[in-house]
Amino acid sequence: MKSLTLRNLAKTYFDPYAGTRVDAIHDVSLEVAAGEFVSLVGPSGCGKTTILNMIAGFLPHSGGDILVGGKPVKGPGPDRGVVFQSFALFPWKTVLDNVAFGPKMRGIGRSERERIAREYLAIAGLSHAADRYPSELSGGMQQRVGVVRALANDPDVLLMDEPFASVDAQTRMTLQEELTRIWSEKRSTVLFITHDVGEAVFLADRVVVLSKGHVLDDIKVDLPRPRKWDVLNQDPEFQRLSTLVLDKVRSA
Amino acid sequence: MTQLLKLWGGYVRVSTRFPAIATLVPFVPVVGLWMLVAHLQLFPKAFFPSPLDVWRSFLDLTWKGILPDYLQDSVVRLLVGTFWGIALGIPLGVLIGMNRYAYRALWPLLLFLQAIGDIAWLPILVIWFGYGLVTMTFVIVYTVLFPVVLNTVLGVRSVPVVLQRAAQSLGAGRWSVIREVILPGALPNIMTGLRNGLGYGWRALIAAEIIVGTSGIGFLMFDARRAGSVVEIFLGMIILGILWYIVDSWILAPIERATGQRWGLITK
Repeated sequence: MKSLTLRNLAKTYFDPYAGTRVDAIHDVSLEVAAGEFVSLVGPSGCGKTTILNMIAGFLPHSGGDILVGGKPVKGPGPDRGVVFQSFALFPWKTVLDNVAFGPKMRGIGRSERERIAREYLAIAGLSHAADRYPSELSGGMQQRVGVVRALANDPDVLLMDEPFASVDAQTRMTLQEELTRIWSEKRSTVLFITHDVGEAVFLADRVVVLSKGHVLDDIKVDLPRPRKWDVLNQDPEFQRLSTLVLDKVRSA
Repeated sequence: MTQLLKLWGGYVRVSTRFPAIATLVPFVPVVGLWMLVAHLQLFPKAFFPSPLDVWRSFLDLTWKGILPDYLQDSVVRLLVGTFWGIALGIPLGVLIGMNRYAYRALWPLLLFLQAIGDIAWLPILVIWFGYGLVTMTFVIVYTVLFPVVLNTVLGVRSVPVVLQRAAQSLGAGRWSVIREVILPGALPNIMTGLRNGLGYGWRALIAAEIIVGTSGIGFLMFDARRAGSVVEIFLGMIILGILWYIVDSWILAPIERATGQRWGLITK
C-alpha cells in the first residue's frame, strides 16, 4: 500500500488527419494518500481513461511525473493493479487460474498461489465458481473476478476504469457495496474512474472532478463506513455531496 | 405417419448413443446407388467395378501387405510434413503478428510464395532433389506452412489489446504474455490454419506421390492406372476420404471442442 502522485501530468498527441497537436491532458496534479479511495469523475471525453492508462503504463505520458510511493513509474507493472471496464478476464483460464495469474507471474508455486486465489474468491463469495470459465459466468460475477484478480496480486495502487459501467443497475449497487466492504478489509490505495456521480460519492473518501483535461474541483466525502445504499439514499449529507458533484460535472 | 415418427425417434436415440451410426448412415444411399449402377452394367465392368469388387481388392491388398505399407508411408510423410509445418509456422506467425517490422518485411513475401502452391514447385524440386523423400517432404511442409502462418498472424492480431494489458499489469513479461495470452488467444485461428494446412497437405502429398512417388496411396492409384486396375483406383479414392474423416473427427474436432468452444471463443 503506497501513495499515488500525479505532478503536472500532461498528454499531447499529434493528430495526423487534422495535422495539429492535441492537448488531451494538461497539468493534472493529484495526490492519493496511501490507503485512500479517490474517485475521478468527469463527462465522457474529459480524459479520465487516458489518465488511468498513463498511470497503468499502457500509454506514455508527454509531461509531468507519475509517482507510486515516491518512485516514478515506467511501463506497466504489478505494483499498479487494474480493473477494466470490459473485465479482461482470460477466457482460456478458469476463474481460479485467472485470480492466481498475478501470483504465478511473481513466481509463487502452484499450491500457494491457489491458496491465495481461493482466499480472495471466498472474500467475494465466488468459491463455488472457482473451476468455471469466465464465459460461463454472468457479467456481475465476471467483474467480481476482475476485482479479486487485481487484489490477489497485492498491488500498491488499484486502478479501476469504470468497472461497473457494463452491468445492470441492481448488480451494480451490489458490487459497489461489496467493493466498499472488501476495501474496508484490505485498505488499498484506489483510484476509481467513473462518470456516475452517485457511484463516485458512494465509494470514495474524495471525489476529484475532471474537465477538459484538468482538475476542476476536489471534494472531500466524510460519510461513515461501511456504506449501504438503503442507508445513504436517505442521508442528507450524501444527497448534498451528490448534488454538489453533479453541478460541478455539468458545469464542466 | 406415427410409425414413421417412431422410427425417426428410434434412429435419433440410437445414433446419439452410437455416433458412428450417424456417420455411416449418409453413405448407405450412396453405396446403394453405386451397387445398383454397377449391377445394371450401365458401364463396362472393367471401368466401373462394384463395391464388392473394391472390398475384395481391399482384403487382397491388405493380405499381401501392400496396402498397410503404402498407407503407413503416406501417413508418416504427412505427419513429418505437418510437424515441420507447425514447428516453423507458429513461431513465424507469432513473430509476424506481433512485430510490425517483421510484418512489413515478410507479409508480401508470404503472399507471393503462397501463390506458388505445392505442386507448382515439383518441376524444380525434382531437378534439384530428384524423385525422393526430400522432394515430397519439401512439398508437404511448404503446403502446410502457409495456412498455419497466415492464420496464426490473423489469430495473434485478433487477441484483444486489453488482455495483454491485463497480463502486463499483473506482472507478465514479454514471454509470459506470448505464452499465457497470445498463443491461447490465437489458438482457434491456429486450429483453422492447421485444418486447412492438413487438408491441402494431404492433397499435395497424393499429387507428389503420383508424380515422384515410389510408394504411398497416391502411388498405388497411379500404379493401378498403369496396370489398368480400376478397382484399385476406386479403393485409393475411398481410403483418402476415410483417412481425412478420421483425422478430422478423431484429432482436430476434439482439440477444438476442448479449447476454443470450452472457452467461449467459438460459438457452437
